[in-house]
Amino acid sequence: MAATAFADAAQYHREFEDFAAKRNEPDGLLQLRRQALQRLETLGLPSSRQETWRFTDVAALGQMAFQRAGDAPVAADRLPLLEGPHHRLVFVNGRFAPGLSRLQHLPDEALVASLGQALLTHPERVVASLDQLKGLADNPFAARNSAFWEDGAFVYLPRGVVLDLPLHLIFFASGEDTASYPRTLIVLEEAAQSALVVDYRGQGRYLNCPMTEISLGSGAVLDFHLIQEDDPQAWHLGGLRLQQEQNSRFTGHLLSAGGLLTRTDIYGLLAGEGAECHWYGLTLVKDRQLGDQHLLLEHAKPHGNSRQLFKGVLEDKGRIVFDGLIRVQQHAQKTDANQQNRNLLLSRQALAHSNPRLEILADDVKCSHGSTVGFLDPDALFYLRARGIGLAEAQSMLVYAFANEIVEHIKLAPLRERLEQLLSERLYPAAERKV
Amino acid sequence: MLEIKNLHASVDGREILNGIDLSIQAGEVHALMGPNGSGKSTLANVIAGREGYEVTAGEVLFLGKNLLELAPEERARAGLFLAFQYPVEIPGVNNLYFLKAAANAIRKSRGEPELDAMEFWETVHQRMELVKMDESMLKRPVNEGFSGGEKKRNEIFQMAVLEPRFAVLDETDSGLDIDALKVVSDGVNALRGPERGFLVITHYQRLLEYIVPDRVHVLINGRIVRSGGKELALELEEQGYALYSKEPGRARRANA
Ligand SMILES: Nc1ncnc2c1ncn2[C@@H]1O[C@H](COP(=O)(O)OP(=O)(O)OP(=O)(O)O)[C@@H](O)[C@H]1O
Ligand SMILES: [Mg+2]
Repeated sequence: MAATAFADAAQYHREFEDFAAKRNEPDGLLQLRRQALQRLETLGLPSSRQETWRFTDVAALGQMAFQRAGDAPVAADRLPLLEGPHHRLVFVNGRFAPGLSRLQHLPDEALVASLGQALLTHPERVVASLDQLKGLADNPFAARNSAFWEDGAFVYLPRGVVLDLPLHLIFFASGEDTASYPRTLIVLEEAAQSALVVDYRGQGRYLNCPMTEISLGSGAVLDFHLIQEDDPQAWHLGGLRLQQEQNSRFTGHLLSAGGLLTRTDIYGLLAGEGAECHWYGLTLVKDRQLGDQHLLLEHAKPHGNSRQLFKGVLEDKGRIVFDGLIRVQQHAQKTDANQQNRNLLLSRQALAHSNPRLEILADDVKCSHGSTVGFLDPDALFYLRARGIGLAEAQSMLVYAFANEIVEHIKLAPLRERLEQLLSERLYPAAERKV
Repeated sequence: MLEIKNLHASVDGREILNGIDLSIQAGEVHALMGPNGSGKSTLANVIAGREGYEVTAGEVLFLGKNLLELAPEERARAGLFLAFQYPVEIPGVNNLYFLKAAANAIRKSRGEPELDAMEFWETVHQRMELVKMDESMLKRPVNEGFSGGEKKRNEIFQMAVLEPRFAVLDETDSGLDIDALKVVSDGVNALRGPERGFLVITHYQRLLEYIVPDRVHVLINGRIVRSGGKELALELEEQGYALYSKEPGRARRANA
């Protein structure tokens, strides 16, 4: 297959026609894909002249040629497996890998499958929910995913269904100059509950453009984890849309540690009264990595509650961009929203851009935000050293403590332990470098 | 044990210590008193190796070693301890974990094996009783949310666990209630012995009724202007520091 210049509309149109012809999909879906292609064409490739792309320059993509990623063999030991019983779906380059996947016994009414399978067995369910949520309309990478996604995960829990075991989705990417578009669609109806871990990993110089959609019915509860450990040469440009009905509870954990340039755009809509949305994010960058998180949480109804705590640890020439907006609509009285961004610089060449914002149209709300960028606290360092703890160990302890504030919120013990391990491996040697 | 000779130190080019001479033998407790801003904490910090102070002259010997050449952690490993006037809060670092890391770093530097969890726990338990510290404080992050008195107690507790050869207590009595003062003093007294020395910085004679010093020194404007026995503390309590101030304006203000 010929490489396709990323920004060349004529070429990706041709690519699309090829691609669409081979897929045997319900008309409704094809329609969605064409609409997305249309959006993609209008949006083009973001330029750093656009406000939301100011610090994240993706112009280089315009010169790159990515092929659609093909099948690639992946050994199971390369996968970030979780300890303990759980359901697992694995995708390689956006395609379902049944041999690496394993589902335990599921409640009868629950539907947990690849999107491809679900389209065969329950097409109406997929069509009813896919690409239906608000948000990210101006994001070309979300549009690209909507046009080109091949497969992904589908989770549908009807009213009151509770998944006892966590569900683990692994998206593994592999290849040189390849692009993949993993898709995840999560629908929890009224009072359904689940814990979900989504892992992005890979090997090679690839482009990963995942898109996740989550819809929570009233009273539904989702414990969500997104762990991004892509290859150090990879680009990761992901999107996530979330919509929450009345009294639903969403807790999201986002760990971004891999990739050369990574960005996740999140849109969350608290569409029902009393919805609760908590995000804990941790971005680790080193070398010349760039990690960008863009969040827009929109409170549309009264009594909503949202919390965001995003932390960043920057080494070497690493860069972090955080842009968070809390938007409170006029009728969303009694909204309680807080957003914090804290960045720890371990090098004088590192750079953090933090832009927390509030946009409040209601008059009876409690909203606050804050952001900090700073080095390790010299008083704390001295205190530890004055007790006999060496400089390197003292630095490590403080960096670990800073980062672990995010990880310690994770209730899922096997995942928490895995990430604690990741933190100590990654941050201990890091801190030995003198600031 | 601790030998300070003609020590001059400055911060941002401003001289704070103006030639300090002080010699403390093993087994002795010395008290250092002096008005606010006279340089007591500066002396403690220079001894402990805090950054930001420039030693412009003089030397500090500890057990024969040139202390000023050592990094703070090396001083601690050599047996020096500073109980901070303002203990630092360290969110996210568990108190017990921190203390174990400290104890093991010190042991390792002496070529001793690391303590196993059981041994360490036994020591900790014993010392906790000594300073009547609540177990729950061990599980919390270092000093985070501790009351002023709890922080001071935690300092003495750390000292009791780490068993230094020489300890500088910088206003450990400030902010303690009467009972806590007694407890902390008992803790210090329990550690007193022929092998160990103390420099106790305080503003109050009362502490010295519990921890009876061998010598009392008066620090004014970065210089020790007078030294004497424990009765000197009583005298200061009655007369204040006005007597020692060369500036008449200062003296008047202090008398008022
Ligand atoms: N790191 C520093 N930066 C600037 N000035 C300092 C610093 N450390 C000490 N000083 C100054 O040096 C002088 C002595 O301060 P020091 O803390 O040693 O006093 P002290 O005798 O301990 O007082 P107190 O009884 O109030 O604790 C003060 O004028 C103080 O402002
Ligand atoms: Mg002081």
